[in-house]
Amino acid sequence: MSRNLILGLSAAVLTAGLAAPALADAGDTIKTIVDRGTLRCTGHNGSYLGFAEVDDAGKWTGFDIEFCKALATAILGSPESLQIIPVSWAQRFPALQSGDIDVIIKVTGWTMSRDTELGLQFSRPYFIGPTNILTRTELGAETAADLEGGVFCINAGTSIERIVADYMGARGIQYEALNFEKAEELRSALYGGRCDALAGFGPFLAATRFNAPNPDDFVIMDEVLALEPEAIATRQGDDNFVDVINWMVSGLLMAEENGITQANVDEIRANPPSASVERLLGVSPGMGDRLGLSNDWVYNVIKAVGNYGEIYERTVGQDSPYKLPRGKNHLWSDGGLLYSLVLD
Amino acid sequence: MRTLKQRKTRAWIFQAIVLLSTVGLTVSFVVIARQNLLSQGIATGFGFLERSTGWPINFALIEITARSPYWRMLLAGLFNTLLVGFLGLAFATFLGIFIGTIRISSNLILNIIGTVYVEIFRNVPLILQAIFWYAILTHLPSPKQAIPLGDFGFLSNRGLILPALDLSMADVYLLLIATAIALYAAIRMQRAGPELARLAMPLPALAFLGVFVLLLFIGRTPDAPLMTLPELRGLRFVGGVSIKPEFTALLIAITVFGGAYIGEIVRGGFLSVDKGKIEAARALGLSAFRINQLVRIPLAIRAMLPALANQYVWLMKATTIGIAIGFPDYFMVVSTAINQSGQTMELIALLMAGFLLINYSIGHAMNRLNTRLAIKGKAA
Amino acid sequence: MAVALAPPATDDNLMAWARRRLFSTWLDGLITVAFGALMIWAVARIVDWGVLDAVWTVAEKDRCREVDGACWSVIGARGRLILFGLYPHDEHWRSTLACIAIILTMGFSCIPKFWGLRRLPALWVAGFAIFILLMYGGILGLPVVRTEQWGGLSLTVFIFAAVVVIGMPLAVVLALARRSPLPVISGVANVIINFVRSLPLLAILFTAAVVVPFVVPDWAQGDKLVRVTLAFALFFACYQAEIIRAGLQAIPSGQEEAASALGMKYWSRVFDIMLPQAFRNSLPSTINQFVITFKETSIVTIIGFFEIMASGNAAVGTGEWVSQFVEVYVFVGAIYFAFVFGLSRYGAYLERRARLTHG
Repeated sequence: MSRNLILGLSAAVLTAGLAAPALADAGDTIKTIVDRGTLRCTGHNGSYLGFAEVDDAGKWTGFDIEFCKALATAILGSPESLQIIPVSWAQRFPALQSGDIDVIIKVTGWTMSRDTELGLQFSRPYFIGPTNILTRTELGAETAADLEGGVFCINAGTSIERIVADYMGARGIQYEALNFEKAEELRSALYGGRCDALAGFGPFLAATRFNAPNPDDFVIMDEVLALEPEAIATRQGDDNFVDVINWMVSGLLMAEENGITQANVDEIRANPPSASVERLLGVSPGMGDRLGLSNDWVYNVIKAVGNYGEIYERTVGQDSPYKLPRGKNHLWSDGGLLYSLVLD
Repeated sequence: MRTLKQRKTRAWIFQAIVLLSTVGLTVSFVVIARQNLLSQGIATGFGFLERSTGWPINFALIEITARSPYWRMLLAGLFNTLLVGFLGLAFATFLGIFIGTIRISSNLILNIIGTVYVEIFRNVPLILQAIFWYAILTHLPSPKQAIPLGDFGFLSNRGLILPALDLSMADVYLLLIATAIALYAAIRMQRAGPELARLAMPLPALAFLGVFVLLLFIGRTPDAPLMTLPELRGLRFVGGVSIKPEFTALLIAITVFGGAYIGEIVRGGFLSVDKGKIEAARALGLSAFRINQLVRIPLAIRAMLPALANQYVWLMKATTIGIAIGFPDYFMVVSTAINQSGQTMELIALLMAGFLLINYSIGHAMNRLNTRLAIKGKAA
Repeated sequence: MAVALAPPATDDNLMAWARRRLFSTWLDGLITVAFGALMIWAVARIVDWGVLDAVWTVAEKDRCREVDGACWSVIGARGRLILFGLYPHDEHWRSTLACIAIILTMGFSCIPKFWGLRRLPALWVAGFAIFILLMYGGILGLPVVRTEQWGGLSLTVFIFAAVVVIGMPLAVVLALARRSPLPVISGVANVIINFVRSLPLLAILFTAAVVVPFVVPDWAQGDKLVRVTLAFALFFACYQAEIIRAGLQAIPSGQEEAASALGMKYWSRVFDIMLPQAFRNSLPSTINQFVITFKETSIVTIIGFFEIMASGNAAVGTGEWVSQFVEVYVFVGAIYFAFVFGLSRYGAYLERRARLTHG
């Protein structure tokens, strides 16, 4: 018995005995995607309302899913060339590192440890998410301090865990953290009354409240615990892939700035108002060949999923059941924090 | 016909090939993993264990805050697994003995109840049962409408709240250590001789009580109440101890599920006892009680032990489903730590090492028990 | 000393039987009355809740809040999600047929006529081919459905069947290796078996899903479902190997020696003499292992597969149906129960049959 124990333990240690980090290039993700013919993007192990959810027919929808579609269209020309791989929060980074998925689009906060230690490279933020608190109306709490001693339900393995610990710790507010792996369990625990509050990503809280048996039983506090930039994560060292993603996000925003929508994109392409729109939609070269894509890729993306504003309204905004106001996710010209890069 | 020598050479070549390919495969795994990690700039090594986690858990036997380092968090998870595991094993064994006994009793109604119980709880996956019990427990009333249990405790969807003795963690450790020392002394005395053995029996209990009383009256801050009673203040109960529903649900699930399996093992053990031996004991004029005590139970236990050992290891491993209901067992803590620190390989290795240690210990203990009982029974 | 005792009672008539089984002593009578009453009460409550006071159709779902009984509307509304998971809506018929194909294959392999070293593998290869053809598609005009979209009951039965079919030959190899007189072979098998058996299934599946891609070259990585199924099969094989080994040990050593003396080759001894008997000896434990494996397929829900347990959980994850958790869990539980109970009854039948043929 004990000989086996030693052998087993040494095998386990051997697997882990890998020291000394270094840097090298992380292959060519775009080539892998083109060779495979599909983009492998993140889904959820269940439904993360508004961002990656499964409808009654078993189809994936949501804000993050639309961005997956946009990226698939940009690289492969069609939103159908997409494989949504259901992964849990805890599995998303290992799945990316191991090459199971090509990219993480899963409201992933840009944090220092992820950026430096996980070997991740983040794109520019594509969504600005406040961390809020959803609580029961009957508790009459107005600030986090009113929830002293309460139970907070939190998604395990997310940046929210740390944000809440920091925020409450700094203010000396006692609380009990109850962590769940899956969004379903989190919601059931809240609706069932196991927790007094749900701390999380603002839009997700809104969707959760909307989905409650009686939405008026719940209220989202105005207090913002932290403002988290959500970015698209890739493996470190593939600069070209990050460029494509940055310009895809930028392209969606630029389309909105210029009033280009899914409906009128053909019209505008036939009759471009400016030189930069001309370049954006691939009428004149520059947008694609510099990234190693076809020149009309932004046109294809807009044709497939619409501009940033359209994606927002369709999945979480006014045209969705959740009716979230855009807030900080407006264009800078409308009082938000979003802007496009300069296309020259 | 090949000669014996030829055959021997062939056997050695074959073994060398198997050995080399096993080693080669392992080495190639390590090399490839190393290459993959390096090429992606992922930090490796166990240095992260010293860093603070930044997140708390709601159930731990040792003190855990967001500032605790990873190793402490992992230790807390391991203790949680051990706690729920060993309590689950103990309760499942009691329940199993009860179920096994009523299934072999002569009473028809008890037979039916036992059979229905076993068939229902053995044939539904443990994880479904855990989720079910958890859903039931979280649908209890909220703390404000908590169900009072006499004057002592409360039952609500935040768990079972009971009065607690005012003892610090250090006191509890002291108590445990004193009892353990007394237990060890008792065992040594029992081996030393029959006169000492008689004295040894009450020793652990005496030590426990003595230290306990001492601590209650001396080891506390003056003016502190002897006992804290739970009291609803704001959103939570203050004072007393609370037993969390996540823990309770997992414990119930393991007890109920394990009870059904152990019930079958117990039944099988009793049925395996040779009828002739019981008849022989009866023919000797032994009373029903003495027959049970001297013949049936010792023989049945011997027949049960191997199956029981397997079942214990299985149940211990089954605690990992705690993750499905938010109980921070070892697996859940490791899984969260993987996500927060990104040290996948190191943490998986620690996960495996933890379970190997626990399960080999159980296996070893059961083996020793088995050999001790087996030798006694034989007139060699 | 010896006291003459009355001969044991026989079931002469109903009264005697009732006295013996229900009222042999006054304590026995008390237990009978108390527990009998409890049982009747419990059954009545369950019938009330599940049948008499229940709401049955989706159209009447608004009544659910008023009645005390079960609200089976949730099964009508979310049943498809529970049974099919993420599988595309228009292709559900394929999932249904595939599921039936595997269940039929399981059914056929329960018939002794199909037991044989050629027939059984042929049957399973055919069953699997039909299943994968239907589920994955890609030919005959069926659109491709990738494995990450598989879900519900058909994923559960697929994982179970694949684990058993891949794990069984592996178990035979491991069991033979462990009994091998060559020290290296038995040592390697021993370490693998003990190592795997000490780890929780969840840890092994998690490793297969998350760690294996790091340690194998890209071309060997495969689909996540394939990796997890293979790891599950290894886990099954390590348990089953011990069962087969016990079956082999029960065979008198004289048999193998006699076969050797007759000049039979190793493989012939193993396949014609040893294995058939080992399987017969270990049949009850094997069926028990099948039962455990079927239940354990539910663990894959934690690593992100939409098998029936996960889709059942997803079905109650919306605000509309969150209070109907009992109904959904009872429904999912009943499906597991049907399979597992069927299997264990079949195991009991086999045991009886074996006892009859062997006297």
